Amino acid sequence: MLLRASGEQTGDDVNLEAVIDGSGMPGIRWGRELNRIVEAVIARDAAALDESCSAAEPIMGDDAVRDALVVAAAFNGITRVADATGIPLDEPTAAATGALRSQLGIDAFDYDAKSQRYA
Amino acid sequence: MTIDYAGARYTPRQELIEGHADAWRMIGAAGTWWTGAQRRDMVAEARNAWRCANCASRKDALSPNAVSGEHTACTTLPAPAVNAIHRIVTDPGRLTRAWFDDVIASGITNAQYVELVSVVATSVIIDTMHAALALDPPALPTAVAGEPSRSLEADLVDEGAWVPIKRRPDASASDTGLPRDPNIRRAMSMVSAAPMLFFRAFMPHYRLQGLQFAISQGQAEFVASRVSALNQCFY
Repeated sequence: MLLRASGEQTGDDVNLEAVIDGSGMPGIRWGRELNRIVEAVIARDAAALDESCSAAEPIMGDDAVRDALVVAAAFNGITRVADATGIPLDEPTAAATGALRSQLGIDAFDYDAKSQRYA
Repeated sequence: MTIDYAGARYTPRQELIEGHADAWRMIGAAGTWWTGAQRRDMVAEARNAWRCANCASRKDALSPNAVSGEHTACTTLPAPAVNAIHRIVTDPGRLTRAWFDDVIASGITNAQYVELVSVVATSVIIDTMHAALALDPPALPTAVAGEPSRSLEADLVDEGAWVPIKRRPDASASDTGLPRDPNIRRAMSMVSAAPMLFFRAFMPHYRLQGLQFAISQGQAEFVASRVSALNQCFY
């Protein structure tokens, strides 16, 4: 949802399905490299992380690889704050993204939906 | 023990190093509802969760509720706190309102829980950053003696989160399209020191606008969104 807003601002034509399931071309520069790095970080796979960073360095440069890691680490923490407190979407976001959430299956992550699924 | 990221594969910006070092010190000090030693133990328990057999079984199960039994704890924290820490760390995408209600019913208060979330999520950021830079996790924070302040926030409201949150004085949208005080900033607001701790570690990592990084704002949003999807985070 944030990505869509950002894409509109920056002119990036992002494939949102790639964001959700990691498949296909993300439609963003270095998308494939960024995706590999993020997946390795979240999987806590040191070998895969080393490999993905080494592969990305000559393409993205060390600073860009570092900054991708910096953002990934932050969101690995903040997603836990959201998930542990069941915080609702902000109203403008909820109103603006209803169709998008449905299309991409993001509604399955909704805290009420999870509560019913794992009751 | 301080945090300096010496020997990191890539050198982080000084602002990030200082933010993490400050957050580490803050964890070791007495909080609002937990002592410094208990907060240090929360970090130890967050790391220990990855070695807990019960957590591993639960993570593999189709439903987290299909697995019973006790967590393998490494501290003397109360069992409900250990349960909360282990689940927040290892299976955050399948936390539910019913699970949260059980945690509270089993003996910790909303405010204690909120402070625990803040400490654990902060430690996740710092430990993830260390692992990402090919470093071992830092030594546990040094616990400082002292009593929790036990100060209660006023003007708390129920706006659909699992925990009460501070009333929002201004709901108007900023130029990001989000309210000036978005819900994620309010999630831990019933304990004022909790968001202060968390965002001390988080802020050097990300901005909604004007990010001065070697990746673009759109690339940063892609990374953030992929992490959210992999963690099955709705927000």
